[in-house]
Amino acid sequence: MQAQEPLTILIAEDSAADRLLLSTIVRRQGHQVLTAANGAEAVECFQQQQPDLVLMDALMPVMDGFEAARQIKALAGEALVPIIFLTSLTESEALARCLEAGGDDFLAKPYNQVILAAKIKAMDRLRRLQATVLQQRDLIAKHHDYLLNEQRVAKAVFDKVAHSGCLSAPNIRYLQSPYALFNGDLLLAAYTPAGDMHVMLGDFTGHGLPAAVGAMPLAEVFYGMTAKGYGLAETLREMNAKLKRILPVDMFCCATLLSLSFQSRSVEVWNGGMPDGYLHRMASGERVPLPARHLPLGILSAQAFDDRTDVYPMAVDDRVFLLSDGVIDTCDANDQLFGVERLQQVFSANREPDRLFEDIEQALRDFRGQARDDVSMVEVSLLESAQAHGAAPVYSDSGQSCPLDWSASFEFRGATLRRFNPLPFLLQLLLEVHGLRAQSGALYSVLAELYSNGLEHGVLGLDSSLKRDAAGFARYYEMRAARLEALQDGFVRVHLQVQPQGEGGRLVIRVEDSGKGFDVARVMERPVDNVRLSGRGIGLVRQLGRNASWSDQGRSASVEFFWEIEA
Amino acid sequence: MTDPHVNREVLDTLREVMEDGYTELLETFLADSQSRLHELQDSTSAKALSDVAHSFKGSASNMGAVRLAELCQDLESNAKDKSPEALAQLVADIHSEFAEVRPVYESEKHHAHIH
Amino acid sequence: MSVVTEVSPDQKKLTIAVKGRFDFGRHQEFRESYERLPHKPESIVVDLKEATYLDSSALGMLLLLRDHAGGDNSDIRVVNSSSDVKKILAISNFDKLFDIS
Repeated sequence: MQAQEPLTILIAEDSAADRLLLSTIVRRQGHQVLTAANGAEAVECFQQQQPDLVLMDALMPVMDGFEAARQIKALAGEALVPIIFLTSLTESEALARCLEAGGDDFLAKPYNQVILAAKIKAMDRLRRLQATVLQQRDLIAKHHDYLLNEQRVAKAVFDKVAHSGCLSAPNIRYLQSPYALFNGDLLLAAYTPAGDMHVMLGDFTGHGLPAAVGAMPLAEVFYGMTAKGYGLAETLREMNAKLKRILPVDMFCCATLLSLSFQSRSVEVWNGGMPDGYLHRMASGERVPLPARHLPLGILSAQAFDDRTDVYPMAVDDRVFLLSDGVIDTCDANDQLFGVERLQQVFSANREPDRLFEDIEQALRDFRGQARDDVSMVEVSLLESAQAHGAAPVYSDSGQSCPLDWSASFEFRGATLRRFNPLPFLLQLLLEVHGLRAQSGALYSVLAELYSNGLEHGVLGLDSSLKRDAAGFARYYEMRAARLEALQDGFVRVHLQVQPQGEGGRLVIRVEDSGKGFDVARVMERPVDNVRLSGRGIGLVRQLGRNASWSDQGRSASVEFFWEIEA
Repeated sequence: MTDPHVNREVLDTLREVMEDGYTELLETFLADSQSRLHELQDSTSAKALSDVAHSFKGSASNMGAVRLAELCQDLESNAKDKSPEALAQLVADIHSEFAEVRPVYESEKHHAHIH
Repeated sequence: MSVVTEVSPDQKKLTIAVKGRFDFGRHQEFRESYERLPHKPESIVVDLKEATYLDSSALGMLLLLRDHAGGDNSDIRVVNSSSDVKKILAISNFDKLFDIS
């Protein structure tokens, strides 16, 4: 048994003999003794000396023990100062009074030393327990404050990263709840150099800091690669690999990614683990569901990862609507889920497409009885090309030394064509020439058009007239994937030549493919058609570049760009 | 034969606990008791009698004066019910009981000095 | 106990039954059900007959189990899923990783 630690004990007792006796007993037990002859003295002594424990006579003159106990308890506040009443009161009512007044125990007269020592020990244990509890509570409160602050910092950093995109573009409408970050929801949007738009709605496992920590590297990859001109597939592969590498096994990110092309009037979709998105065709009113065909990001190894996307044609004003699972999972008082059926009902009932968000929020409110604070929704529409434009990329070099007189040739063969997209690299190369930077959008669009024509029409032998309707569209991309997978031979060559000219310079781009070619004259004769889904590529090249020409029976295309140095 | 007035075992324990302070305790008790007796004489209300009796009972029991403690308990509990004559009798009984046990404590004092 | 395990007599098959809500609160129990076995089982069955609810932390726990059981070389079946649970597993395409019935 542990030895009792010496305490400072206050003895309040009006009988001098009893006071003397008790003081001696307590002192002999190793404690320091303070005495008071009535309740008022006891309170004053407590205020000045802060004893650890009080032995209080119940009936005293001036102020009785009950009142003194009440006052002392009030003065002690949160700390526990045990009060043991000294009493020869026998009626239970009197004893109840002791406890009501805040007494913790009582000791009967005549005093029994053994019992007194035991009670002091027990009360002291309680006293120390209370002190520990308060200490730990304060420690927990402090740590909690630290954590809240850490989250605030994480959120601030994340906001900078996540919102460097183009969510404020005219064709995007979104609703992101105040607690979106804290629910792991991620909404990113960025322009590609060609003026296409990549959009991502993601949902991390976990909430708060763990989710934010995973979201940041993901956002960096998304923005970096999109700005450089990488397509969805490559960006997805990189995001998946990164998450797989850095996140613990049980963390992953559900995501839907879109690539909207204003030029080719189509949307490319990849959905891994998110609820169905919807492509709303204005003309027919049809809503095409975009279901999850893939596992979320961060689960599969690079070899197993499936980057296949689905491509759908879009007309001007068509919209793609994405939502996080917060909508479907909303529960009412009986734990019934809002569910997909109710969402479909909202769609059918919706009369004004621009009010879709409001309709959904209202339906959720009606269902649940209150608004939900962790729902994310985004709606992206296809606008006329003229309305959509990208921000110029920012460069950090001074431009003193840039290559002005050079040429480079590349040949991409067989299996490489399957996996490798040379466009971002080629563009970066060209952007070393400062005079070309202002035209990076046009450059990329032209390069992409010539390259994809060379690959798809030339090497793979696909007929773009297939893309005249939605069914044909899907078929085209299926065939593209299949033929690409089976590809063994064939090539696409890219020649670049930069030369100074006058105060500026000239770039010549030539792209050749190993395909069968096409009837150049016939295609050139066709009027430029903005409604038809196919065949706009050549028109685009002629529009954006200069001196576009085709030779070698259509297997070789050439186009030029010029720039002037501004004074 | 056990003493009905003073419990000797209690005195033994007190002696052992108080050591050198035993004498002071005895003197304090005797002086306290004197003033209590005076208070009993001067008390007019049943409540006042009851309170003094309660106090006296406490120290009497601590000092082993069992019969004295019993009498005080009686006075404390029944002060409001008894007639003035009965109360006066009880107070007198307390006086004489104290007179009875007083020599015991005086003797203890004396012996303590010698040791 | 909301996670109940059973090992076949030949120690080759482990059955883990999850009852009630399969969520973050089950994390510790679920891990313990397979981490400390004296013999590594050759096949694992996760029985969700009495599971009422499944969330993303449950999906994470299944991934941990799969990783522990050998990743691509594991043999894990998830059986007796209710229609609600099946729906959740379907949306997340977990049928590409687990045999689900």
